[in-house]
Amino acid sequence: MCGIVGLHLKNPRLYPRLGELLVPMLDSMSSRGPDSAGVALYDGDTMVVVKDVGRPAEICARHGIADRGGFRGIGHTRMATESAVTTQHSHPFAPLPDMAVVHNGSFSNHVMVRRRLERYGITCETDNDTEVAARFIGYQVAGGADLADAMRMVLKELDGFFTLLVTTSTQFAVLRDSFACKPAVIAETDDYVAVASEYHALAALPGIGDARVFEPVPEEVYTWTL
Amino acid sequence: MSTREINAGLRGLPDGASARIVAPRGRHNLAVGLENRITVEIEGNAGYFIGGLCDGPDVVVDGFVGWSVGENLMSGTVRVRGNASECAGASAHGGTVVVEGDASSRAGISLKGGTVLVGGDVGHMSGFMAQAGVLLVGGNAGHALGDSLYETVIYVGGRIASLGSDARVEDLTDDDVLTVKGLADRAGFDHVDPANVTRVASARELYNFDALSHQRY
Repeated sequence: MCGIVGLHLKNPRLYPRLGELLVPMLDSMSSRGPDSAGVALYDGDTMVVVKDVGRPAEICARHGIADRGGFRGIGHTRMATESAVTTQHSHPFAPLPDMAVVHNGSFSNHVMVRRRLERYGITCETDNDTEVAARFIGYQVAGGADLADAMRMVLKELDGFFTLLVTTSTQFAVLRDSFACKPAVIAETDDYVAVASEYHALAALPGIGDARVFEPVPEEVYTWTL
Repeated sequence: MSTREINAGLRGLPDGASARIVAPRGRHNLAVGLENRITVEIEGNAGYFIGGLCDGPDVVVDGFVGWSVGENLMSGTVRVRGNASECAGASAHGGTVVVEGDASSRAGISLKGGTVLVGGDVGHMSGFMAQAGVLLVGGNAGHALGDSLYETVIYVGGRIASLGSDARVEDLTDDDVLTVKGLADRAGFDHVDPANVTRVASARELYNFDALSHQRY
């Protein structure tokens, strides 16, 4: 399972409300991921990652997420299937100081890719599969690849099911695997781009009735740039 | 109201009654498992499994729906006035699922005798392993249409990106044209020309039902 959400604000008037809008989105994905949760928030020049073990709503309350502003945020609710339930194993993973990755799905060849990354001097902190994908994307981008190209490389190098949501200080990107095994829905208005595993996470956003709502197709990287 | 309370309320209605569900806000499992002959209107966008497991009612969604609308439908109809996400009509044994907009990937997957009518396009792997029943696509079909198809017949009004394993295009017979006309009339698909659809059925080279049960299939 697992649930992912993301909110990329285009209208600066919404910046002070980032946390207030993101928390209900995350809370509504609790049924997909009740064991731990996390968010990455972008405000000004900084990216802050907050993650913890427990119910998503409790984590948000504990860390005051609803009171935080910013121009972009992503979040994850976790139902662990392949590694331990700890704060370190929770998403988002931040392979670069300004990059955050959340993932709904699972990778099957992460051990091999982890070993290969180690030969390049890239080490993971956990045995989590998503961390490998995050470090892989980070490694590609640090080496000069465009974010969309780095994500396309995931299609070639990693086996598994995924909807990936990756953000940097300038970009917000979504990619689904070749079979679109994991759900994703995107809503776009003049004010924001919002992504979630299920539509009901988006249903309370302002102006959602007039949003262009669509499902990302497999193997296509969707990017929005600040 | 909880979803369980809503469905229990619907289940308690007498045949011929009608009910409206307002502001569904993407909620899952609405109008599931009903066996009475009622009409349910869902006014807005709904979530997964809408109208699933039903045996009798007519369910209309005035909005879009998530995955698996009308899954395992036994009889009755589920009509979606917008788009549907993946697996529309999955495993339906009977009844009719109508999607007036587009349906995403795997529409009509493992269909077991139901009828799935999509006005717009369908995504990849639609009709996958479909065993019986009919899938009509008014628009275009995505890749691997009818992969590992059994005895479901698929009609496509537009283009087919590619056929899946063991699916083949067959000649359209007069009976097919009559069938498609009936289906398009039922769905209200004026844009489907029954004489100009592509018939896709199984080449029957992948499955071997007759090897089991003393060849009595």
